[in-house]
Amino acid sequence: MNSFRLKIVSPDGCLFEGDAQLITLRTTQGEVTILANHTEYLAAIGMGRATVVTEAGRRTAACIGGILMAADNKVDVVATTFEWKEDIDADRAVAALKEAEEQLAAGGLDETRRKIVESKKRRAEVRLSVVRAE
Amino acid sequence: MAGVSTKAIKARMRSMESTRQITKAMELVAASKLRGAQERALNNRTYFRTLFEVMDMISRSSIDFKTPFMTAGKGAKPLYIVIAGDRGMAGGYNNNIFRFVTASLPKDAVIFPIGKKTAEYFRRSGWECAIDSVIPVGDLTVGSCFTLSRMICDWYLEGRFSSVTIAYTELVSLLTQTPRTAELLPIVFTGPETGEKHRSRFLYEGGDVHVFNNIVPEYMAGVLYCAVKEGFASEQAARRTAMDAASKNADEMISKLNLDYNMARQAAITQEITEIVAGSEH
Repeated sequence: MNSFRLKIVSPDGCLFEGDAQLITLRTTQGEVTILANHTEYLAAIGMGRATVVTEAGRRTAACIGGILMAADNKVDVVATTFEWKEDIDADRAVAALKEAEEQLAAGGLDETRRKIVESKKRRAEVRLSVVRAE
Repeated sequence: MAGVSTKAIKARMRSMESTRQITKAMELVAASKLRGAQERALNNRTYFRTLFEVMDMISRSSIDFKTPFMTAGKGAKPLYIVIAGDRGMAGGYNNNIFRFVTASLPKDAVIFPIGKKTAEYFRRSGWECAIDSVIPVGDLTVGSCFTLSRMICDWYLEGRFSSVTIAYTELVSLLTQTPRTAELLPIVFTGPETGEKHRSRFLYEGGDVHVFNNIVPEYMAGVLYCAVKEGFASEQAARRTAMDAASKNADEMISKLNLDYNMARQAAITQEITEIVAGSEH
């Protein structure tokens, strides 16, 4: 299978750099899969599960927000959050979800705080969905 | 007389020693936090470089659309995001950035404070603030930066502000931290350079304006997060240096007091001997 150069970065550093055969992730418009020699392409990443297939096998990750760019058989994923399934701390995600839900239920947050807490909740949900998938 | 002064000196030495213990402890805490913070700031730079490359590549492709992010905002006032610490005791870290920002701040600027000290300072000196709540810089995650960035972008689109600028402290080295400002919005695109191979148009998923309007908050969130982490590392470095200096000063004062104490003690003994000798001669 043809491969392309894939580079995945997040504020935590570089998470992948090398040859890949396929990457699937969720953009704001829905799920897309990029194969080798893709046309010049640009998308905004939504919240969801990402799958990367390399010669070594298949890996999944939680990928939230960012930019996907394909050009010259090179794909750059500049993600706000990108965590491989094995790096996700499920207990922490459960705790974060619970805490966010409690804070929202308690109320009394101003607009800024509420938005922060709400997105914390959504992120915890995405992480859990990746961990719990087969 | 002599007895009182040795006692007073002893008390001062004791208080100086406990101060020294505190500054020493703070120095150690800052040093250990600094190690992690510095590493994170460096990781961030990798991310930021790639982010910048992507934005640069987009800017050099042919752009035949316009979004509100590329033109000056409809609002009258510029927004300044200022990042400083939650706590003092970090040498000039907080004051340096405040002085640097206020020096060039337009009269009608609105401040978006990040960090407890920032909120305190700008509210006390009467600047208009965009938010009422205090956002502690210590617990800002990538996710919260993203939320804040999206909120600021929405304000910009609603026409509340004319431009968005960010002010933070860059960790140049462990001993040097420099305050900086960078303009975030509107985004200025240079377009393809003359003579360069003309890059064909990108295929935008869901339409160019849609993608662009989603990418801009991402880009800003990236910049914001990097600035926050850079600032946090600078704060720790500044605190470590300041506390190191404070511990050294305390050491110096303790040794000076120790000398004074010994002299006073000596003087007291001499006086006692003189008194005894004088008494026995009678």
